Amino acid sequence: MSFRQFAFGLTATFGFAWLAVVIVPFFMMRSVEPVAFTEAADGKEGIYHPKTTGRVTNGAEVYASNGCYNCHTQLIRPTYAGNELGRPDWAGLKMDEERGDTRRESNVFDYQGEKFAQIGLNRLGPDLSNVGRRVEAEYAKGGDAKLWLMMHLYDPRANPQRPTSTCPSHRFLFEEKEVLGQVPQDALPVESPEGTVVIPSPDANELVDYLLSLKRDDAVPASMNYGPATKPAEAKPAAPQG
Amino acid sequence: MSQASSQSPEADALLRSEIDRSLRHPVMFFFTSGAAWLAVALLLGIISSAKVHAPGFLDSCSWLTYGRVQPAHLNALIYGWGCQAAFGTLVWLMARLSRQTCRAAGLILTAGHVWNFSVTLGVIGILAGGSTGVPWMEMPVFAWVPMLLSFVVISIWSMVQFKVRPAGHVFISQWYVLAALIWFPWVFASAHLMVHGFSGSPLMAAAINAWYRSALVFLFFTPTAIAAAYYLISKVTGRPIYSYSLSLLGFWSLAIIAPWAGMQKLAGAPIPNFLPYLGAAATILIAIPAIAVGVNLLKTAAGAPETVVNSPTLRFTVAGVIGLLVTGAACVFLNVPPILRMSQFTLSGYGFDVLAIYGFFSFVAFGMIYFVVPRITRREWLSSRLIKVHFFLSVYGVVTVALVAIFGGVMQGLGQEAFAQPWEDAAMRAYPYAVATTIAWIFLLFSNVFFFLHLALMWLRLGRRSSHPTLLGHGHHANLHDSIHGPEGDIDNAGPGSAPAH
Amino acid sequence: MIDPSKPDLEESVNVTEAHERVVLGAAAASREKKLAENGSESISLWVTILCAVPLLAAGWTLGNAGTLFSYKDTVKEGYVRVIPSAGEEFALPPKDAVAAYSAKGAKIYGKCIGCHGADGKGDGANYPSLAGSEWVEGETERFAMVVLNGLTGPTSSGKTYGVMPAQGAGMSGDDLAALMTYVRNSFGNSVGDVVTREMGAAALDLSSKRANPGSPVTADELNSEHKKNLPGEPLDPATMLDPITLEPAAAE
Repeated sequence: MSFRQFAFGLTATFGFAWLAVVIVPFFMMRSVEPVAFTEAADGKEGIYHPKTTGRVTNGAEVYASNGCYNCHTQLIRPTYAGNELGRPDWAGLKMDEERGDTRRESNVFDYQGEKFAQIGLNRLGPDLSNVGRRVEAEYAKGGDAKLWLMMHLYDPRANPQRPTSTCPSHRFLFEEKEVLGQVPQDALPVESPEGTVVIPSPDANELVDYLLSLKRDDAVPASMNYGPATKPAEAKPAAPQG
Repeated sequence: MSQASSQSPEADALLRSEIDRSLRHPVMFFFTSGAAWLAVALLLGIISSAKVHAPGFLDSCSWLTYGRVQPAHLNALIYGWGCQAAFGTLVWLMARLSRQTCRAAGLILTAGHVWNFSVTLGVIGILAGGSTGVPWMEMPVFAWVPMLLSFVVISIWSMVQFKVRPAGHVFISQWYVLAALIWFPWVFASAHLMVHGFSGSPLMAAAINAWYRSALVFLFFTPTAIAAAYYLISKVTGRPIYSYSLSLLGFWSLAIIAPWAGMQKLAGAPIPNFLPYLGAAATILIAIPAIAVGVNLLKTAAGAPETVVNSPTLRFTVAGVIGLLVTGAACVFLNVPPILRMSQFTLSGYGFDVLAIYGFFSFVAFGMIYFVVPRITRREWLSSRLIKVHFFLSVYGVVTVALVAIFGGVMQGLGQEAFAQPWEDAAMRAYPYAVATTIAWIFLLFSNVFFFLHLALMWLRLGRRSSHPTLLGHGHHANLHDSIHGPEGDIDNAGPGSAPAH
Repeated sequence: MIDPSKPDLEESVNVTEAHERVVLGAAAASREKKLAENGSESISLWVTILCAVPLLAAGWTLGNAGTLFSYKDTVKEGYVRVIPSAGEEFALPPKDAVAAYSAKGAKIYGKCIGCHGADGKGDGANYPSLAGSEWVEGETERFAMVVLNGLTGPTSSGKTYGVMPAQGAGMSGDDLAALMTYVRNSFGNSVGDVVTREMGAAALDLSSKRANPGSPVTADELNSEHKKNLPGEPLDPATMLDPITLEPAAAE
C-alpha cells in the first residue's frame, strides 16, 4: 500500500460515512418543519408544539449534571424496537379518564427546549418520558405531586411502596433551615434537628418542575399519529414528515 | 525493520536504543500517569458499582452520588488511562518504526501535562456537579479545546517522523498508527463541535454522541492496540506475520466499517430510522476485522508458544488479542435484532465498553508497557511475581466484568420487555450482576495496585540493572534459555551470546 | 565467586573489558529480533466462513432499517402502533348513558361556573339560575341555541339579566351534547334523557343556518323558531356506554 492509497482510502471511507451519518442528518434536523393539526383529520386547527418554559430548561440542566440519565431513559420506542408501549403508564396512560388510551411513542418535538435529548443509557429505574403524568395520576393521586417527587428525591427508600428502589438519595439538593417564626410552606415532612426544617433548594425546585413537565402523551396530528385507524372514516395515517 | 540495514547489528541496536532514550520523558510520563489514572478510575468504578446494589453506600456525599461518580469513572478510564496509554504507545511505535529519534520530547511532555491537567480539572468538575450530562463528554466544556490542542502537539511529530522515514516497505503497524492519529482528532473535534459548539436538534446531538462513543473505541483505541499487537508479537517471537493479505483485510475492513457504527444505541428514537439499524449492522460487521486481525496474530504467535508463556509482553498482548476476538463476538451478539431491543438500555452497553477498553485495549497496552519501559529506563522489571499477579488478577477481573455485565444486561432486558410484570421485577434483576461487577472491579484494582507500584519503581530508576529480561517462566525448568539469552546465569551485556546480527 | 543463580550480582568479570562490542545501555534493544512481514498465507477458508456469520447477521439487521438514507422517515415505513396486549383487556367500567354523558359534561361546565355558579343557581341578580329553568328542561333545540349563541333580553323567567356571551366557539357536537345532558340532569333538574352526540352535531348545523348566525338569540327567536327537540334518534338513557368513547359497551 502506498501513502497515497492510504490517504485517499482513509479520507474516502471515513469522510463518506461521516457526511452520511453525522453531518447531513445534523443539519437536516436542525430545522424541523412544524406539523399542523387539520380540521378534517384532527377536529381542530393549529400548530403542534409541546410547550416548555425556561424553568424547565434549568431543570434539565440539574437532571444532566446529576447524571440521572445513567439510570433513567426518556424514550418510548415504537413497537418494532421495544415493548415499553405495553406498560400501562410509561408511554402515557392506558386508562385516562378523559382520553382513554393516551400512550404513544416519542416524537421529534418532545425534546424541544433541551440542548441535549436525555435519552439515557440504562434502565435501572423506569423511563421518565411521562413521569409527570404518572406522578399526578397514580403516585400522588389526589395529593401533592410536587411533594411526592421531593420526598422521592430526598429519600427514595422511605416510601413504603418503594423499599427496593436503588435511586440515590439526593439530600444534597435540600437545605436545612432554622425556623424563625412561621414554618415555610414547602418544608418536607422529614426528621430534622430541633428548630430546623428541610426545604428544597432552587436546584430541587427546578428539577421537580422539570420532572412534572414530562408529559409526552398529548394528542398528535394525524400525519404523525401511528395509531391503528379506529373509525372507518379515518384514512390510514399519511407518510410522516419532519 | 525488515529492510536490510546497512548498519552493523550493534549500530542498529544503538540507534534503536537512542530512539528509546529520546522518548523516555514523554513516554514514561504517559505510561506512569496513565497507570495512576487507571487506579483512580478503578476506585471510582468500585464506588459506582457498589451504589447500584447498595444505594446507601456513601450517600451523604454529593460528590459521590451515582450520577456523578459513574461518569467520572468512565472519563478517568478513557481520557486519563486509555488515551494516555495510547499516546505513549503511538508516539513510541511511530518513532521506532520510522527509525527517527524524537527531537520534540519536551514539547510532547508539556502537551501531556496540559492533557493531564485538563482531565484532572474535568473529572473534578464532574464530581463537583459541573457535568454536562453528555455521556463520555461530561467534562465541563472548558476541557475539550485544550485536550484537542495538546493532542495535535503530541501527534504532529509522529506524522513528521513518518514523512521522513527511510524508504522501503511500511510495516502494518505504521498504517494503524497513522490512521489512529488522523481518526482521533476528526472524531473528537466533530463530536465536540456538534454537541457543545453548534446548537442543533437535541436528538441529533444525542445521536452524534452515540456515534462518538463507538468511534472512540473502534477508531482510536482499536487501531492503537492492533498496531501495538502486530509490533510486539512479531518483534518478541521473531516470526513473520502470518498473512499479509489478512493484514490488509483487517485494516481496510476496519476503516470502511467502523465509521458507520454507533447510533444503534438510539434505536427507536425519532431520528432518521435507518441510522440506528445501519449502526447496528456496522457494529456487527466489526467482527470481520476482529477475526482477520485475531487469526493473523494468533497464528503468528502460535509458532512460538513457549515465548508467549514466558514473555510478560506476549502474555498480555495475546490475551488482548483474544479479548479482541471476544469483543467481535459480543458485537455480533448484542446487535442482532432480537437482542438489540433487549440489551439497548441495560448493563450490556457498559459491559461491552469495559470488554473493549479493558479486555482488549488495556491488555495490549500493558504488553506494550512491559516491553517499552525497560528500554527507555534501561532497567529490567523487578519481579516476575508482581507481573504474574497483575496478569491473573486482570484476567479474572475483566472476564468477570465483561461476561457478567453482558449476560446480566440481557437478563435485565428480558425483564424490561416483560411489560405485563411490574417494574420492580425488572429493576431487581440487575442486582446480582451488579454485585459480581463490584467484586470484579476490586480484583482489578488490586491488580492495578501491583502494576502501578511496579511501574513507579521503574520510573524512580529502581529497576533491576541487567541485560537479562524478566521472564515469567519457572526458574528451575531448564528451558528459559533460548539462543538469544544463553543459559541462565549468563550476563549478556554484549548482546546475544554468540549469534551474530539479527 | 560466580553464583549462577544470581547473574546480576556477578562482579568478577569486567564486562567492558571482556567484550569488544559494548552495547551498554542498549542491551534490551540489542537482544530484539527483527520485524518480519513476509507471511504469504492466503486467507484461509475457515476465516472466510467465519466472516460469513457477521455478514449474515448484519444483513438480517439491515432488514429493519427501512429505506437506507431516507432522512425524512423517523419511523419504519408502514408502522402502525399495535400496542402489545397483556392478555387481559382493561376497560373502564361502562356507565349508563346519562351518567356517561354527564361525566364529560361536568368537566365542560367548568367554564360556566363563573357566572351560573357551581350549583347552577346563578346569583339572583346578574346571572340566571339553570336549576328549574324552562328553557333548560324543555325542548332541546331551544336550549342548544342559547348555549351556542348567547342570549340577549329576557330569559325564560321573564327577567332580563344582560347579555350572555356565545359559548359555541370551539365547541364540538360531542361537547355540546355532554354539557346539555349534564345541565338537564343536575342542580335539581332531572329530565332523565340524553342529548346524543348526533343531536349535538345537528344543533351546530342548525345554529349556523340561523338568519343571523353568531349573534345572540332572543326570547322571541327561541320561541318562534327553535321550540322543538333536536333531530336525532333518542337513546335509551339506561344504555350502557363506554365512558370514553360514548359508544355502547361491548356485550359481556
